[in-house]
Amino acid sequence: MTDLEEYRQSVRRWCADHVPPDWRARQTGVTGAGFAQFQQWWFAELRSAGWAVPHWPAEWGGGLSVAEQEILYSELAAADAPRLVLQFVAIHHAAATLLAAGTPEQRRRHLPAILDGEVWCQGFSEPGAGSDLASLRTTALRDGGAYIADGQKLWASGAAHADWCLLLARTDPAAPKRKGISYFLLDMKTPGVDVRPVRNAVGESHFCEIFLAGARIPAENLIGPENAGWQVAQQTLGAERGLTMLELAERLGHAGFRWLVASCREAGLLDDSRVTDTLAGFETEIEGLRGLCRSQVAGTSAGPADASVVKLYYSELLQRMTDFGVTVTGVPGFTALAKPASSGWESGIWPLDFIGSWEWTIPGGTSEIQRTIIAERGLGLPRGA
Amino acid sequence: MTVTGAEAAEVREELRDVARSLLAGDPAPSAKRLASAGWTGLEVPEELGGAGVTFAETAVICEELGRAAAVSSFLGAAVLGAGTLLELSPSAARDDLLAAVAAGDATPVAVLPGEAGFVPSAASATHLLVVEPGGVTVAVPGDAGVSVEALPVIDETSRLARVSVSGASGGPVLPFAGDPSAVIGRLRDRAAVAVACDSLGAAEAMLETTVAYVKTREQFGRAVGSFQAVQHACADMLVALRVSRELVSAAVTAVAGGAPDAWVRAAMAKSHACAAAVDVAGQAMQLHGGIGYTWESGVHVYLKRALLNRSLFGSPAGHRQRLATRY
Repeated sequence: MTDLEEYRQSVRRWCADHVPPDWRARQTGVTGAGFAQFQQWWFAELRSAGWAVPHWPAEWGGGLSVAEQEILYSELAAADAPRLVLQFVAIHHAAATLLAAGTPEQRRRHLPAILDGEVWCQGFSEPGAGSDLASLRTTALRDGGAYIADGQKLWASGAAHADWCLLLARTDPAAPKRKGISYFLLDMKTPGVDVRPVRNAVGESHFCEIFLAGARIPAENLIGPENAGWQVAQQTLGAERGLTMLELAERLGHAGFRWLVASCREAGLLDDSRVTDTLAGFETEIEGLRGLCRSQVAGTSAGPADASVVKLYYSELLQRMTDFGVTVTGVPGFTALAKPASSGWESGIWPLDFIGSWEWTIPGGTSEIQRTIIAERGLGLPRGA
Repeated sequence: MTVTGAEAAEVREELRDVARSLLAGDPAPSAKRLASAGWTGLEVPEELGGAGVTFAETAVICEELGRAAAVSSFLGAAVLGAGTLLELSPSAARDDLLAAVAAGDATPVAVLPGEAGFVPSAASATHLLVVEPGGVTVAVPGDAGVSVEALPVIDETSRLARVSVSGASGGPVLPFAGDPSAVIGRLRDRAAVAVACDSLGAAEAMLETTVAYVKTREQFGRAVGSFQAVQHACADMLVALRVSRELVSAAVTAVAGGAPDAWVRAAMAKSHACAAAVDVAGQAMQLHGGIGYTWESGVHVYLKRALLNRSLFGSPAGHRQRLATRY
């Protein structure tokens, strides 16, 4: 047996012992506190196995090879383990930003804390700055040893549970719009920070508004140079996308596809060649998506718009698959009114999964923005008017 | 030849560069030219005058032939003919033919079961390798009972022929080295993946030429490639090709390595890449506007090649039905 095969077996055994078989039932209809508590417990379980942050450098507690990460995500998906939803921004976006642009002191302060359960959210978008993120108007003006933040952020996932926030704010209102933005680490307990959940189309309240009224951010919580926040955000967000997608592709391939086949079987549709044709098409596309993610993580396809290619393809495939799930389950599929918290985007409750799929085609750059990035940066087409 | 993964990748890139420039100068290379470039003998053992490499190298040539919309006997003779010979138990007859393939002196073409109606490169073949469950019968065009009828098709870059071999050809039946049904399955996978490579190359050429065109073609006072509708159509072409490339690479690796699940990878690559190539070539025609619909532009050559490829060696729906037997 190869080392990798042994590793796969060890992950499989661990999953058999540690994934609670009834977690979906327990996480259905749960309160926000019940969700957060469960997420912290599961994160700690993964941490004691050494798998909470496999993609981090070894010195900070990660250090798995790409092949090992792929096996880990594949086995977690195959075992239908809970997803890390609460820590998603912390272990991916916050860590990538700290590792790429943070000072040694900022890394020492936050990376171990994230391993201990520190929760992060992202304060980027605003009511007037969605696709045109660089037009953001929240300000953070220097006042002695601190910056004073005022403004409003929107679509901050998990902000109601967050300890810290990755904040983009304008520090030089007179500069051209991309040159006057700075990147901050904001303590959510700071006076003047107010969080209000926004109920989304599925009925969940994961997204939040963040209101900032004179919130004082110590200058040492600036990350990267002052007024270079736009560049820091561009560098770090593209770089980490491959890693998050590697896991999402595995989830779509295992639980997502398996449930879709199961739904077809339960509906007696597996002898309908139109249905099996669609299923085989999805399976093929998922395999292609996995290949894209692997190439991106391994750095073998270094196209300038790779992150956009993967995000666009994943989100639209998710949308088509979940839509098909709705048609397969028909009216009876509409009787499940809530999907379990802590699950992936494809929970098998197809109408809610389908509606929830817009959470992938809109945030993080809409599909339209991704296509424009692919055309202009990936193919070198002239900028549009 | 034993090489590491990185070296092999480097060798393939060199092969690709050489192939691209050769085909740019001669998009209809003769069998002799293919042989002198070393392509027909890629998988032929070194002691028989070949390079002794794998299907992964053959696949590079298939892709470049598609990119150039080239006319050649490569698919019939090198990919399938030599590929079939390599599945036979070693014998003097087999080795002589393989050596002749590498030298460009013979162009034996495989006739797979059920595929005799449309055999690539058969009209110019020196030998017909009739694949049957019991082994391969070698027939020679012109002999009694052997008929080869060239079939002009809408894709003018392809060379198909209808083959009929009736009665005993006189030649001995050469046995397969392995289980016959597995061998025939491998040959079908090889054919499907070779065609998928061809379609991928053709589609990439279409995306490149389209991008170049929309960057320079001006309407309403600006390059049409600056219009969002055009940009997004090009982005969709790129995404479809990125996915195709991943699927095709996985299938090539699986076929080259004789992986047990190679048929799954082959079915995925064939169904996706060949369908995507039709979409991409169709969009290329659309985005070139009126000029793209002219005979002169040549876009139709690629669209027709992609269309024929989609149907050759199993339609997308046929391959997906095979995949679905696993559900």
